[in-house]
Amino acid sequence: MAPYRSAIHREYLRQRDLFLLLAFSDLLGVPNPVAFYTLELYPELIEQFHEWHLRLGMPQAPEGGFKCC
Amino acid sequence: MQSDGDRNQKDVVNRLPDKKIVFFGGKGGVGKTTLAATFALRVARRHVRTLLVSTDPAHSTSDVLESGLGPEPKLVTAHCWAMEIDPEREAGRYIDDVKQSIAETTTPRLLEEVERQIDIARISPGSEEAALFERFTHIIEGSVGEYDTIVFDTAPTAQTLRLLSLPELMNAWVGGLIKRRKKLNALSRMWRNVAGAAAGDEAHGEDPVLQTLEQRQNRFHRARQILTDARKTAFMFVVTPERLPIVETERAVAALEKYGIPVGALFVNRVLPSSAAGEFLDRRRERETEYLDRIERAFGSHPLYRVPLMDSDVVGVEALLHLSVTRSGAGEVI
Repeated sequence: MAPYRSAIHREYLRQRDLFLLLAFSDLLGVPNPVAFYTLELYPELIEQFHEWHLRLGMPQAPEGGFKCC
Repeated sequence: MQSDGDRNQKDVVNRLPDKKIVFFGGKGGVGKTTLAATFALRVARRHVRTLLVSTDPAHSTSDVLESGLGPEPKLVTAHCWAMEIDPEREAGRYIDDVKQSIAETTTPRLLEEVERQIDIARISPGSEEAALFERFTHIIEGSVGEYDTIVFDTAPTAQTLRLLSLPELMNAWVGGLIKRRKKLNALSRMWRNVAGAAAGDEAHGEDPVLQTLEQRQNRFHRARQILTDARKTAFMFVVTPERLPIVETERAVAALEKYGIPVGALFVNRVLPSSAAGEFLDRRRERETEYLDRIERAFGSHPLYRVPLMDSDVVGVEALLHLSVTRSGAGEVI
């Protein structure tokens, strides 16, 4: 893969993780005043969370977060 | 012949001719429920289709109206409907909706654990007031054409102020999420352009997350428009001539002004009637006069109504319709 392509991919994944963090920060103990409303994003983002921890090399979901597996 | 009740009713109601949404607030125990019900009944008596909504889980509105109310509007008397919504139940309902949509879109493998996670949110701080707010906006939006006036009997002051400040706070937060999401989507498009087939089945087309967030933001925006529209909305305060309710109401009025929510009128409840006599009551009245002066000074720029202390409980539609509500100042009896 060309270097610029992997750079774009890295940035894309980084922003995607950041969005997960902002939407569900309460799961990591960071208060989120709209936690109640981001609940309705669960259905769309649960698979992404699953991908995220696999990407980190964790075969199972970390404690305290989404229990996707 | 016109009874006092009729004349009073006309005044209170005529001064608020086009208000569609009326909130009643005040410190706990000052008589919000009684006055909200009185107001709703008097509006309804002018053939205005009126809905009284209580958020008190203790069911005081049922007691005051002598009618078993539930979460759906029930006809209490001609042109007047009433309902009681329970914040805990509303939070449960919202969460059940989320579970439902998860069940439709999530693989069964994840379902059970996700549901467990979501149940934690049911008891997390803020969920009940968020659910309550959700229901408020539903009722307001859903009642167009159904009811001409909606009267909300709200929870004690602090909670209500938080509730009314929600749209502003939430709007800012959700706005931030939307900005992030758009940036992410732009990156995603870039990645798909350079990667082509290598991007695989990465999400493309309409982003459901962005759509959900934008719908949410629109609702906050509409709620805020309604709350701050002085032609349609008014917030009434009930206060008794005592120190703590006055102090709390002063703070509340200032807070509403900060959020741009219009104050309609103040109802001074349980004023000693002149017929109440005796040494004890005379002393009591001296104190009361000081507090009534303070109320005039603090809130004189808004219409003030007085409601006397009664010798018995005010319960039932008839009693509420006959409760004396007079405009104070200049000795005007209305």
